[in-house]
Amino acid sequence: MAANPELERASAAGAIAVDGGDLPLGGGLLALIRPALTLLEPDGVLAILSRSKSVDADLASWCRAERHELLGAEAAGDGTTRYLVRRGRFGARRTQDAADAGLPKRADAATGFAPFGSVVEPGGPVYPFDLVERDRVLPPEVTELYEQAVAAQWNAARDIPWSKVPRLEPALELAVSQVMSFLAENELSALYVPSRFISRIHPSYVAVAMFLATQMQDESRHIDVFLRRARATGSPPAISSATTSQSLYSLLQIDDFTESSFLLSVLGEGTFLDLLAFVERFAPDEATAELARRARIDEARHVHFGLAHVRHALSHDETLYPRLEAAVRSRAATLAGIGGVPAPVQDGLTIYAAGGSDPTRVARGHDAFRELLVTMHEGRIRRLRSAGFTDEQAAKISDLHTPNFM
Amino acid sequence: MKETILLGAVAYDPKVVTIWEGIRDYFNESGTPFDFALFSNYERQVEELLAGHVDIAWNTPLAHVRVRQRTGGASLSLGMRDSDRDFHAKVIVRKDAGIASLHDLHGKRLAVGSRDSTQARILPLHFLKQEGVDLDRVQILPFDTDLGKHGDTGTSELDVLRALSDGTADAGTIGDLVWVQQQAAGHVDSARIEVLYTTPGFDHCMFDALPTLSASKREGFVRSLFAMTWDNPTHRRLLELEGLHEWMAPREEGYDSLIAALATAG
Repeated sequence: MAANPELERASAAGAIAVDGGDLPLGGGLLALIRPALTLLEPDGVLAILSRSKSVDADLASWCRAERHELLGAEAAGDGTTRYLVRRGRFGARRTQDAADAGLPKRADAATGFAPFGSVVEPGGPVYPFDLVERDRVLPPEVTELYEQAVAAQWNAARDIPWSKVPRLEPALELAVSQVMSFLAENELSALYVPSRFISRIHPSYVAVAMFLATQMQDESRHIDVFLRRARATGSPPAISSATTSQSLYSLLQIDDFTESSFLLSVLGEGTFLDLLAFVERFAPDEATAELARRARIDEARHVHFGLAHVRHALSHDETLYPRLEAAVRSRAATLAGIGGVPAPVQDGLTIYAAGGSDPTRVARGHDAFRELLVTMHEGRIRRLRSAGFTDEQAAKISDLHTPNFM
Repeated sequence: MKETILLGAVAYDPKVVTIWEGIRDYFNESGTPFDFALFSNYERQVEELLAGHVDIAWNTPLAHVRVRQRTGGASLSLGMRDSDRDFHAKVIVRKDAGIASLHDLHGKRLAVGSRDSTQARILPLHFLKQEGVDLDRVQILPFDTDLGKHGDTGTSELDVLRALSDGTADAGTIGDLVWVQQQAAGHVDSARIEVLYTTPGFDHCMFDALPTLSASKREGFVRSLFAMTWDNPTHRRLLELEGLHEWMAPREEGYDSLIAALATAG
């Protein structure tokens, strides 16, 4: 057979062999033939050893249907026949290229949910993923942050000493309830906002979607613990102010992933780090201190991701600076006319820091609240500079940040 | 303003709508005005083609041969699928039926597909006669399902397979595509059923037109049809649904055996 020049030419494209034993074509032989053919280049030749007499008739028909070419058959002794099949050009091929390629700069939406590195058969639909640019979506730190998040998950029921929630004086009780409810309301937005982007992220950059999923799990747990604490002692209901609602609504309107990450994680959750430190510092009981401490550790991870995302995107696109600043301005414009921190929140934080309603303590609480605003502003400037903004830009952006903190 | 080509196809399955709507959109986008009409059976479609109510008919081999004969060989053949070339039919047998050669079919129960199915009835029986099998001595078990569809649905071939599986038939006739597809899908018990005989090759479907088809319609159709490629995801989906990898030029010699079979049957 080697004397056949046609065969020699065909074999040059690569030849492998499978031993089909007694298997009929429809009785398992295809499970050996089909994968072997996917390893060959078009025109590569597969040798099939078979002792099944039905293979003779069936292999030819199958080759016709699949556009492979049955080149011939020869006796190989001992009742065995050796068939040679030249691979056609239509089926999928397991090229190493797919596995070796790095993540593309721009992902192809037609690869759908195929795990990156697999050989994707053409012919699938184009999926509606529009976050397809690697450097706008995928900061290099994301895998490490995901692993940290997975390792740091905690249990809202078990890990907080709920039995140590005491009865407090009514004014303080009301303040605790108001602060906790405010935290939960903001965390609800932090649960919903990332969910808008997950379904838009190309699965080649699934690490980002997976990180955002941990973020959403974190927010769910925070909502759980804040509301448990708010309702622990049967205090009158908290007030959800229109300012908070306006602020969170404007966050939900943002369609650009980087702008959203910037406003939610860098500015909003960044500001919340200082707020949660405040809540922990002045906590009236051990349970409240512990839930604030744990929530803050989670939030720090979200801020870290937001900074990494924005920093990475900025390093690949200079035009992003003015766009992010414009996003802050435009949000500030929609919040124009809104005064400072919503009154129920301001009062709640003051009494919370005071630890009660005694006027001398309230004076200290008021100072602590004013100090918190300064700390938040400084923290924002620090994080903005770390993202790559100049001192001047950072100060301007921090000033424009929502009085709702998030 | 180019004239719109009207193509006739038989609605043998809901996917036919998907296929031709997809091809219609592609043809129109590629500059060939195109629409289609669906018929419930090939007899009607052939009559409407001959009456000039459609420009082109997507025909089974039986319908194609009728169009050739009714036009005295003057009809135009415009193209076919790669899978339409070198079709074969199989005689499959139960391994426990004691059938080692074609003559062992005498006295046995032979399941056959619809009487208008080229691959499941007309040609396998024609070739068996040529091989010297006396069909009067064979118990023919016919499955005349989906008449008018010329075997397109494959239902009668599945009926044949089922008759062998459940033992109501000793042997059966089936087209090679359904046979390998059913095997590839794991639906055939290879320990109990195997191929006894494979017929010579024959060709299957064809786009037919009357010789009066205008040159612009003919050229537009052929140009757009042959520009479809497997590598184009949109085309590929349509090609897969229609059961081909690429469109091929027409050829007539693949229908000689069917013409002979129909002549013998009178």
